[in-house]
Amino acid sequence: MGHLGVEHYLFLSAILFIIGLMGVLVRRNLLIIFMCVELMMTAVNISLVAFGTATDTLNGQAFVVFTVAVAAAEAAVGLGIILALSRRGKTVDVDDMHSLRD
Amino acid sequence: MPLDLIKPEWGLVVPQLIVFFLAIILMLGDAFIPRERHYILLTAISIIGYVAAGIALIWQYGENKATFYGLFRADDLGVFLGMTILVAALLTVFVSASYVEYLEGRMPLGEFYVLLALSTLGALIVAIAGDLILLFIGIELSSLATYVLTAYAKRRETSLEGALKYYLLGIFASAIMVYGFAWIYGATGTTDLTEIARVLQASVSGDHREASLLLGLLLIIVGVGFKMAAVPFHFWTPDAYDGAPTPVTGFMSSVPKTAAFALAIRLLVQGLAPLRDDWLILIAILAFITMTFANIVAVAQRDVKRMLAYSSVAHTGYMLAGLAAYKSVSGFGGTGSGDFGISSVLFYLLAYAFTNIGAFAVVAWVQHRGNGLDLDDYAGLAAKEPLAAAALSVFLLSLMGMPPLLGFYAKYYVIVALLDAKLLWLAIAIVVLSAISAFYYLRVVAVMYFSEAKVEHKKVSTPLLNIGIAGMVIAVIAVGFFSSGILNLADHWTQALSVAQAVTP
Repeated sequence: MGHLGVEHYLFLSAILFIIGLMGVLVRRNLLIIFMCVELMMTAVNISLVAFGTATDTLNGQAFVVFTVAVAAAEAAVGLGIILALSRRGKTVDVDDMHSLRD
Repeated sequence: MPLDLIKPEWGLVVPQLIVFFLAIILMLGDAFIPRERHYILLTAISIIGYVAAGIALIWQYGENKATFYGLFRADDLGVFLGMTILVAALLTVFVSASYVEYLEGRMPLGEFYVLLALSTLGALIVAIAGDLILLFIGIELSSLATYVLTAYAKRRETSLEGALKYYLLGIFASAIMVYGFAWIYGATGTTDLTEIARVLQASVSGDHREASLLLGLLLIIVGVGFKMAAVPFHFWTPDAYDGAPTPVTGFMSSVPKTAAFALAIRLLVQGLAPLRDDWLILIAILAFITMTFANIVAVAQRDVKRMLAYSSVAHTGYMLAGLAAYKSVSGFGGTGSGDFGISSVLFYLLAYAFTNIGAFAVVAWVQHRGNGLDLDDYAGLAAKEPLAAAALSVFLLSLMGMPPLLGFYAKYYVIVALLDAKLLWLAIAIVVLSAISAFYYLRVVAVMYFSEAKVEHKKVSTPLLNIGIAGMVIAVIAVGFFSSGILNLADHWTQALSVAQAVTP
């Protein structure tokens, strides 16, 4: 067993990011899509910390604090919109969202 | 890294601070001022706040300094972008006050102004950011406030649905963009734009980092493309624009778009300047697809608001063409004399703010009089409401690019920049597609002037909205004559590069 290098973290991050990306593109449930985007943000955080360690700078770790805060704010706004929609008796399935059309 | 504690120059972030405190004052005012006085007082506070921020920004003109270790760049690029953003925010206040107060079941006005101020603040931060972290925070602040504004007519299902699509694709784009930031940071070891440019300058040829840099660049362009609504990342645009309350649509089409272009200029032109050859071609292709697709789809629209949404996508394409015309400025940090591309984008953003918010303002004006958004609602408008019809005609002709209106100068400068940069094919595309766009703009004008009226218009008085529309009509007609002066101001954006060069790590 060799020790864990930065590339291992980047690989993990890339896999998480791709899982999230595929989830957004494939799944139709609003909350799952939302969770997948959060997964992508988490993947980015892992990358940032890994790059921070690799380049021996602190900017990456500082950046993570801000992305976490932004992700939390996004969650607040998004859940508010989803809640307002579901209160109107709508489902949380994006395929039902077609009152706006071309 | 040794920390030498230089005292930051707070004077350089005064415009941003004014808008920040404006948001807080509005929040307190919303809580403590009686509801029936919101309309007068909060509107007045908002207008005073944006004007004060604008004055503080003009004060900074020619200052050209960086502060907070290069985080904030008070350069002429930031001043010009900031002015565009503040003008758009001010116009939105004029357009939205009566709409929010009286239409769609009386929406809460105080919170509306707070969100407007926060979105403006985010855009202003992007305009002067000198660091990846600050760019990200600014664009997110601007976007998050705009998502809520889009959902503001929460009694109407289309508003929520448009907001949800905007939100989901918006955060998706943010995640992609910030992943790109992470790769750029990983490849260069810094988040400061100047440092990024320096590191890249030294190592740009055939290094093993090259692949990760290109990945980062690609992710950033996809993310920014979503934010500025470029085809093929525009799916949210028609729905969000259609669903949002009309004044918000006008706002969305100018302030977050200006923020996205500010991010593109700061990041691509300043930070990733050494990768110029890689991103220029991507931007040029994106510009071409965007304007072609949007103009063709817009022809089929009968809903005026939706038509304007596609037209806004088309204009993103023209602006991207201006960005693609960015020429070499003799390596990083050159003085950039003779470069025209970025100046034309800056001018276009300003012209577009007046014209597009104006067009949506007239749509809101018609909505005030009890009518919907279909083309039939505009039939015979000229006979009954000649001034409103004339105003909408001016805005639509300006969007089309009819001389001597503002929109003509904007397109003209982009085309000149394209010819200067030897991108003849893109210039030809703009001319041909403008001709196509004439069809759907002129159709509305023709319907207003030559059709029989099909609907009745209520008599409603909307003084603030009328003042706003009158101001924008005058601006669209008159500002064109001062366009060379404004373009001179825009040319000063290159100061940003010399400021960047002076930033010491």
